[in-house]
Amino acid sequence: MSPVRGAVADTFPKLLMHHARARGDRPAMRHKDLGIWQSWTWAEVAEAVRAYAVGLSRLGLKRGEAIAIVGANRPRLYWTVMAAQMLGAIPVPVYADAVADELAFVLSHAEVRFAAVQDQEQVDKLLSIAERLPKLEHMVYDEPRGLRDYDHTRLHAIEEVIAEGREALRTASVDTWLDGEIAAGSGDDISIILYTSGTTGRSKGVMLTARGCIEAAADTVAFDHLTDRDEVLAYLPLAWVGDHYLNYAQGLVAGFCTACPESADTAQSDLREIGPTFYFAPPRVFESLLTRVMIRMEDAGALKRRMFHYFIGVARRYGEKILNGESVPVSGRLLYALGNVLVYGPLKNVLGFSKIRVAYTAGEAIGPELFSFYRSLGLNLKQLYGQTEAFLYVTAQPDGQIRADTVGPATPNVEIRIAENGEVLFRSPGQFAGYFKEPEKTAEAMTEDGFVKTGDAGFFEPKSGHLKIIDRAKDVGRLANGALFPPKYVENKLKFYPNIKEAVAFGDGRDYVTCFINIDITAVGNWAERNNVVYASYQELAAIPAVYDMIAAHVDEVNRSLAAEPGMAGAQIRRFLILPKELDADDGELTRTQKVRRGFISERYQPLIDGLYDGSQEASIAVEVTFEDGRKGNISGTVAIRDAKIHPASAEIAA
Amino acid sequence: MRAPGTVAAGETLLAVENVSLRFGGVKAITDVSFDIRKGEIRAIIGPNGAGKTSMLNCINGFYYPQEGRITFKGETRRRMRPYVAASQGIARTFQNVALFKGMSTLDNIMAGRTLKMNRGFFWQLLRYGPAMAEEIEHRKVVEEIIDFLQIEHIRKVPVGKLPYGLQKRVELARALAMEPELLLLDEPMAGMNLEEKEDMCRFILDVNQQYGTTIALIEHDMGVVMDLSDRVVVLEYGRKIADGTPEAVKRDQRVIDAYLGVAH
Repeated sequence: MSPVRGAVADTFPKLLMHHARARGDRPAMRHKDLGIWQSWTWAEVAEAVRAYAVGLSRLGLKRGEAIAIVGANRPRLYWTVMAAQMLGAIPVPVYADAVADELAFVLSHAEVRFAAVQDQEQVDKLLSIAERLPKLEHMVYDEPRGLRDYDHTRLHAIEEVIAEGREALRTASVDTWLDGEIAAGSGDDISIILYTSGTTGRSKGVMLTARGCIEAAADTVAFDHLTDRDEVLAYLPLAWVGDHYLNYAQGLVAGFCTACPESADTAQSDLREIGPTFYFAPPRVFESLLTRVMIRMEDAGALKRRMFHYFIGVARRYGEKILNGESVPVSGRLLYALGNVLVYGPLKNVLGFSKIRVAYTAGEAIGPELFSFYRSLGLNLKQLYGQTEAFLYVTAQPDGQIRADTVGPATPNVEIRIAENGEVLFRSPGQFAGYFKEPEKTAEAMTEDGFVKTGDAGFFEPKSGHLKIIDRAKDVGRLANGALFPPKYVENKLKFYPNIKEAVAFGDGRDYVTCFINIDITAVGNWAERNNVVYASYQELAAIPAVYDMIAAHVDEVNRSLAAEPGMAGAQIRRFLILPKELDADDGELTRTQKVRRGFISERYQPLIDGLYDGSQEASIAVEVTFEDGRKGNISGTVAIRDAKIHPASAEIAA
Repeated sequence: MRAPGTVAAGETLLAVENVSLRFGGVKAITDVSFDIRKGEIRAIIGPNGAGKTSMLNCINGFYYPQEGRITFKGETRRRMRPYVAASQGIARTFQNVALFKGMSTLDNIMAGRTLKMNRGFFWQLLRYGPAMAEEIEHRKVVEEIIDFLQIEHIRKVPVGKLPYGLQKRVELARALAMEPELLLLDEPMAGMNLEEKEDMCRFILDVNQQYGTTIALIEHDMGVVMDLSDRVVVLEYGRKIADGTPEAVKRDQRVIDAYLGVAH
């Protein structure tokens, strides 16, 4: 066994057994069940996982085979990952909300013989695609409700699989055999296959080695000083690299406790009860939290409202400086301390942020306002940049060097290079071993000297040495007159307004920039309520002229700010419209990680784009929509198009 | 969990014989007889004003029929009060949600356990010793129901603040908390959208299968009735016009006339 940098073992099962010995009575996992937090110590988890592994092997799971995992964050599903790895099998987590089609693709591509699922809903989903999965033999489930009358020849309760394994483990030879299996695992084995969310087309299976995972996790555990006293709430999708990295890998390296929420709907209140010390959320979560806080404050009494706004002002002035350890006048510190007692403390408590030492956000750009709001409250929120192929981290911001508009310098042991065309390339300990069954795609994603192409365009800021990401490299376009057009950059500026939930900008090869806008139904709905504006649906609300006026004002501000930036004046939005329906992953308009699929949207809404460019004042559209139960329907309507004001390029005039 | 029942599955749990109910000169129910077998889902359907809700009210002792007999678990009665019906194992939900609006979901469901509490008022006031132990036991049952109906996220929310579909679910939860032998549901899906209806159907089927609860339901959505129920009784103007399996009832000419109208 060659040594592994920064950790005591080269596979996760070995780490698990190490924690069972080293900190056997420390909590390893929690799950809220029947309204009570149930806890398992490292020793208990190790015992259960060993029994589970034996049970699975008796069902026929063998080294090198894949086992799919479909469901929410449940201890037994995490144990499935561990138990599979104990046997040398490869866990393949799949997004629980994936529709049957997506599920069928991933499961058949990964050639799974086993699947571990959460409940009846997932069992039904898998049964509905059974004929497309000839290799699938056994299913194990966590929650028995509603499954009593199902045919149990190929269906088993995880509980029973564990019980059988436990029984078998009484025989000493089985126990020794399992120890042998664990020891036989090597750091160079494929530890897990994570399917990408498919931002750029069909999802690909990213193979990660145990050594890579553990070394990368060990680097960041050291970077953020995580210990076995830390605690996280695992609410991110199991199939996303973020969950596997932040919760599973870091948890097993540092030995900290992972708590699973009661259900997806209760994550917010569970967060408050657990009070995690390490937290990750995509910008949209922080955004919706802030929107909710602001809406609640609008409805609060006058005294509370004034107090809130006054102390938020104080926090804006001094909060970030105090967090960064800069010098602040004594009066500022005193005011901030008072604000902490009256506003920030209670607010953080309500949000479940009281104990957080380190919080990260990533996935897309975060609004500077939003970012500094949380930081000014004393929340150590930082940014990182990465992707599945890197096992998440490529860059991260170290304490004290926090910026809203960069993603930080390279993390320890990661090399970054910017290619000729501006594309960011990296080489890291956690980088993937290749795409499953697609060597030609793997080759495409790599340079000759072993760097991975991220597909993102960016540059290092000369002053700070931080990486700044502008857009997907292939998305950065040019207008017909040659002006630079980074669509995401424009969209993000729009999305920083609470009233705008999603924006899709067009302009590559065109004469000017135009934009589709999705309003945020929570924020705009609240505005409508306060102003006695009546509406019955999203479509109706989106078409109200007063809402258009409000959005037009935001577009104007964005144009003003684009005009003030060098080289960006040409990317100002000339015309825009508000879409009659919310973009939805079920309709293929967003990826499962809620990223806009621009190409698909521009085909689907072609008549609207034509309207934006032919100068008409409205355009009609009819599109098919998929309801949550899978039925399809149609939405049609006429959408108004507005012109926006174009500002002169002030930066260039000044120069 | 349940006290040993005296009625085996498939046998008659409740028998309604020649029941008539009048309010002054208005005849709400006239000479209706039918039975509910243990373990089945029995639907009562009929046009508006057919006497469906009155029938349920007779069964759980809210109204006293002037004529006829109702036999529950072999015990015949003419007059009965709702709380006696409840203690015998009959629970119900209402057409218009009847919950304590200011109380949380949890407290509302706990209220369904009242009849099962043995300790007196003063012990409960103290929340100490045996009363506390008892409360923990009851809370466990309630939490299982919360888990069953997937309403964890509204456990502590005042019921008045909840959307209608969820209130209906809380009402079902409260009825289940009584661990009833017979569950009467008065239009459990009224006013729900398709998705909520589908959820509710699943819950009703699950209750029936998992807890073995006998269910009598009134419902207007024919699709729901045909999918869910084992047998259907059809009322019109207070009289029974058909009784049988959903398929048989659907083909019955009198039922078709009652629903579609007939030229006289």
